[in-house]
Amino acid sequence: MTTPTPPPTSANPTRLQRSRAAVQRFGGHLSGMVMPNIGAFIAWGLITALFIPDGWFPNETMHRLVEPMLGTLLPLLIGYTGGRLVYDQRGAVVGAIATTGVVVGSEVPMFLGAMIIGPLAAYLMKLVDQALLPRVRTGFEMLYNNFSAGILGGTMAGFGLYAVGPLVQGLTRVLGAGVQTLIDWSLLPLVSLIVEPAKVLFLNNAINHGVFGPLGAARVSETGQAIEFLIETNPGPGLGVLLAVMLFGPKVSRATAPGAIVIQFLGGIHEIYFPYILAQPKLIIAAIAGGVTGVTTFMVLGAGLVSTPSPGSIIALMAVTPRGGHLSVLAGVLAATAVSFITASLLLGFGRGERAREKTQYQNPEAQS
Amino acid sequence: MSSINGSNIKKVVVACDAGMGSSVLLTSQLANTLQPYGVTVVHAAVGRIPADADLVLCHSVLASRARAARPGTVVVEFEMFLGDPAFARVEQAVKNGEAIGD
Repeated sequence: MTTPTPPPTSANPTRLQRSRAAVQRFGGHLSGMVMPNIGAFIAWGLITALFIPDGWFPNETMHRLVEPMLGTLLPLLIGYTGGRLVYDQRGAVVGAIATTGVVVGSEVPMFLGAMIIGPLAAYLMKLVDQALLPRVRTGFEMLYNNFSAGILGGTMAGFGLYAVGPLVQGLTRVLGAGVQTLIDWSLLPLVSLIVEPAKVLFLNNAINHGVFGPLGAARVSETGQAIEFLIETNPGPGLGVLLAVMLFGPKVSRATAPGAIVIQFLGGIHEIYFPYILAQPKLIIAAIAGGVTGVTTFMVLGAGLVSTPSPGSIIALMAVTPRGGHLSVLAGVLAATAVSFITASLLLGFGRGERAREKTQYQNPEAQS
Repeated sequence: MSSINGSNIKKVVVACDAGMGSSVLLTSQLANTLQPYGVTVVHAAVGRIPADADLVLCHSVLASRARAARPGTVVVEFEMFLGDPAFARVEQAVKNGEAIGD
């Protein structure tokens, strides 16, 4: 490896690496339930941005799609996918049945509830099958399969309706109130202190789809837009770091950064800037500074999105911005980019160190890395 | 430490957290260079790497999860998504039938 600071090999993981992998794995389960269904989120977001009374083309008929999609379709897809991850098609079916239980009668979009009860129902199905399937007599398999899934799924739907739903609704409300308190006290930008470093450790999907997604959906159903969708997805902090690296970074990075900028800012694949920070950890300060600036700007200007922009491309952000909100979203992205770029450039000494090193390498090729 | 001869590599899996973003990007790039040698390149989430993978490519931050998911399969780590020497190393091994290890 030719990177400046090769991390310890993951063949012999340290305790820190093991716990990092555990957190990543848990986050991977959360985002794994949401991300295959992003197409449905986009459809819902576009319909909302276009056809609600405040939208571009207000349309009463199309508007009727908005509520069932958010309240029913999206949680069902999450529960279905969560079940499938645990126990394939059979798990998916009982996961979807059980999710209906948390969806019905809930006043908030049941993303969290679906993430809990979908996999849980599938896991129980797996246990039941392991216990009973070997005892089923030949010829009765289909009868067993259909009725065991139907009975277990129906039971779990009731359990969801009476127990999990109210519990998660309360939890979602408490968490939402927590975010609101942070906004009221102007402390919301501080979440970037956690979000930006966690992103770089590849927890970006987990944070966005596991935490901010459910919270944002709850807020959208009440106020029509949510700042939660902008916190992790803002491409500004990463863009600032990449711009600084392109101008002032090590020679190898300078060559690859322009391509990375296109993939990150337009393509929305934020992962591409993580390695530049992992190679020079001090650059995380720039990402944090950019993140804090972005969230502050969004908060002051009252910016928000109607749906998760996924991937976090500027194009996706603009597509799910409510009518009239584009300038405030752009302002936050630009402010984050500028502050991140300036901070990163300062941290890189505007390339002075790199130029000096390249000069010595040129004069004395043996001194290379 | 696992190792495999480049000529025995038939399927390369690029893994990332969700199996939908950065791994797809790398898969389309890598497929161009490896397909002429009869190697298929696919992408997957790091926790769901297909069992018939001969070689896994994965960012070093995620590599311990890839190893845990597929013990015994060669996991080649990379640091950068663009221009990392690991990609050239895999291509070299496939092209020349050389051994490649973790």
